Amino acid sequence: MKSKLVKSVLSCGLAAAMVLSMTACGGTSGDGGSADSGEKTQLYVVNWKDYASDDEELMAAFEEEYNCEIVNTYMDSEEDLLTKLRTGAEGEIDVCLPNCTILPAAIEDGLLEQIDTSKIPNFEQLFARFKEQKECFGEDGNMYAVPFVWGSTAIAYNTEEVTEAPTSMKVLFSEDYKGRIAFRDDYNDAVMAAAIALGQDPNNPSDLDAIKELLIEQKELNRTYWQTGDEFSKLFANDQVSVGLMWSGQSATMKQEGEPIGFVVPEDGGIGWVDNWAIAKSSQHKDLAYAFINYMLGEDVQYDWASSGGPAPANQTAAEKIDPEYAASCAMDEESLNRLYFMEYRTEDVKREWSDLWIEVKGA
Amino acid sequence: MKFDRRQALTWPSMIMLFLFALLPLVIMLVTSFQSDTTGSFTLENYERFFSNPTYLKLTGKTIVMSLAVTAVSLLIAYPLAYIMAKKLRGMRNIILVLVIIPFFTNQLVRVYSWLIFLQDGGIFNNFLSLFGLFEDGLGLLYTQGAVIIGLTHAFFPYMVVTIYMSLERMDDAMLEASRSLGASKFTTFRRVIFPLSMPGVISGIMIVFVPALGTFVEPRILGGTDGTVIGTVIEDQFFEIAAWNFGAAIAFLLLALVLISMTALNMAGKRWETE
Amino acid sequence: MKKQRHILSRIFIILVILFLYVPIFVLMLLGFNESRYNSLPFKFTTQWYEEMIANEALLSAAKNSLLLALVTGIICTVLATLFILGQRYLSRRTSGLFNSIVMMPMSIPWLIMGLSILLMIRSMDFTKNMAFVLAGHVIISLPYALLVLRARMSSLDKSLEEMSASLGAGPLTTFRRVTLPAIAPAMVAGGFLAFMISFDNFAISYFLIPNGVTTLPIEIQTSIKFGFTPEINAISTVIIVFSLVILLIVGIIMRSNLKDMLGGKK
Repeated sequence: MKSKLVKSVLSCGLAAAMVLSMTACGGTSGDGGSADSGEKTQLYVVNWKDYASDDEELMAAFEEEYNCEIVNTYMDSEEDLLTKLRTGAEGEIDVCLPNCTILPAAIEDGLLEQIDTSKIPNFEQLFARFKEQKECFGEDGNMYAVPFVWGSTAIAYNTEEVTEAPTSMKVLFSEDYKGRIAFRDDYNDAVMAAAIALGQDPNNPSDLDAIKELLIEQKELNRTYWQTGDEFSKLFANDQVSVGLMWSGQSATMKQEGEPIGFVVPEDGGIGWVDNWAIAKSSQHKDLAYAFINYMLGEDVQYDWASSGGPAPANQTAAEKIDPEYAASCAMDEESLNRLYFMEYRTEDVKREWSDLWIEVKGA
Repeated sequence: MKFDRRQALTWPSMIMLFLFALLPLVIMLVTSFQSDTTGSFTLENYERFFSNPTYLKLTGKTIVMSLAVTAVSLLIAYPLAYIMAKKLRGMRNIILVLVIIPFFTNQLVRVYSWLIFLQDGGIFNNFLSLFGLFEDGLGLLYTQGAVIIGLTHAFFPYMVVTIYMSLERMDDAMLEASRSLGASKFTTFRRVIFPLSMPGVISGIMIVFVPALGTFVEPRILGGTDGTVIGTVIEDQFFEIAAWNFGAAIAFLLLALVLISMTALNMAGKRWETE
Repeated sequence: MKKQRHILSRIFIILVILFLYVPIFVLMLLGFNESRYNSLPFKFTTQWYEEMIANEALLSAAKNSLLLALVTGIICTVLATLFILGQRYLSRRTSGLFNSIVMMPMSIPWLIMGLSILLMIRSMDFTKNMAFVLAGHVIISLPYALLVLRARMSSLDKSLEEMSASLGAGPLTTFRRVTLPAIAPAMVAGGFLAFMISFDNFAISYFLIPNGVTTLPIEIQTSIKFGFTPEINAISTVIIVFSLVILLIVGIIMRSNLKDMLGGKK
């Protein structure tokens, strides 16, 4: 009886929602004016904002060749992507971009489609280390994701105020830049950065109490904790900070916009990450999804994006084409690569422990 | 009593409320008693909350912040409502319009504007430096103060409306009577006007204090390293580490806090009425 | 002496209004400032307005918000009207109980309302869709519509309806000829308030919106997180101007005073 009620009321709501979404869709396809614009296949991509797939110039060739339209949904965090995959309706997501911290969870939950690399010809051009990245494989030994780009979270600094590139993560924990530091509000990066400064293994820190203590001490040295790339770029542009924990890709973009920003992976290490393309199990357009991934891994897209402020390419051919000086300035070079500690999969317990630690730091 | 078919007119609303407000809250309560790892019945989520001093501290901080916002709002809203209702009556419609226009701007955009306005080297700072003040930057952004300014700005207009309504309804003849009996203006205010406006004050407090407890956007944007409150902790549990059950438990404790303060305020309101 | 106090009152009002409008002026001003990062010094440009007009994502989000708010407003008006009409025939106790249930979402932080509906969707294995967003919006806007309607209904005389009925008019005719004309202005005002609440709502939409759909507040939040450009200032300015025009039109049509629009007596 109750469920009947639930259903009948929900169906009323659904009907209303359908009218709503139909009018909304009618509106969007209407501005093209042509009748066939409605017939284009739509490929649903979950990605970060301003992360290649929403760049019209970059995607124009693909959309034209396959007569399709890319519909981007933005994710807030890796966990958010996981939630979207779990709660999304059938066919609501075709392609998504998980990193290594959640990939094994997504694979284990059966949310991703097995990848057949023979359908991705450009896969052959990837760096060997990315072809074999362990997080991309499930326990069954099959592949479920393909590396797309990589980058680092390390130190960005204002070249007008900090004349020599910092050589240690400790700079973020020193009194030298008190009140001019922008640390990131993210439990994973916070714990890893503190572990690097303390000389612990960032992926398996041995002494969490020491890390917590260090982070609490560090708290008042900050201008603020930044949460989003945009927040950081505004703080920097308005001359509120001198050094900060930052992403390589965004530093590169800001440098291209003329900001006096330098980026360095210090000698004691930085945090590395890899973003991977995966196809959602419930995707209704798997062939198109393969074509999309192949396109994104292609030499041209990888080169164009990396050299215009994107993160480092996983495609070796593209990487070799990039101007070495530029590569070094955005920490895309091999030396930086070798200093990185790549983020690994975290179990629920570890996540909870680290996140509790971070809340305690923020609440201290 | 005979059943009147016309009563059924209330049912559509009640069904909506049952399905999309009461039922979800019950589900949230049940969820909060499930383990994040195994899914079985447990008290661990609540234990975890109460055994960690940080969560209690953050709860305390959230309450203090909400009280501060309510107090500042009251200090602004009461005199404003009083002036509108009793002093400059000719202007009251204009003032009322001016007070509600900001509602038409998105709340997030307003918060963001505060961020730009308050930052060192921003507009406010530039303005003050003209007078030689705070030339090194005023250091207001990314503090509790900034959060309180932002929240007060967002909520106090509601309070103006509720207090104004209660003052407006007051019978002027009564005030005349009080005065003609020789009471001073201050006595009239203290003994007559203020008690009669209490219902408006109390609903005004409710309308500010409750949303302030549950806020998670403003502290994050304006509070900097000091911007963690219970609302942001809840949001993090859901979106950063997907600890749904623990998140539900904290949300439920917040709800309990809200209900307790509402009851307390209602009781206070009743006492004023009977006195 | 008396005059002097009024001067104090005036100064107070000016200060409060200044506080209220500071962020709004900043917002409007920076919509015409060249710097992408809202940095000073100020340089005039209309670039952001041009980019806003070309920004399809932003415009379609605005359209979704408008539509959602419109449907919410209509549903709330109908529900609130029915509720208030029916409530008069309930016993005092039931009426009080029903009333406190319907008004409940007003006193629960929206964060909790949104999260609890999300938890329900998840625990029942539904998927997110616009119906839930709409339902959430209706729930939180309904109390406001009710407040406005009730302020008007308390003055509506039940005996008028009874008289009409005793003269042989059917219930529908009575409603159409007697009740409706009396409450129509309040219905519009209540619907308008519900529309505004829904249009500006972030918290509910944030938790419930399906993948691939955005509303204006969500698009604004995404921008704040990932790249705020003064286009947002531009569209906000347009919205303020637009709502002022609507407010003016509604005000003129209704000739009702502002109190009704605000929510009437509490």
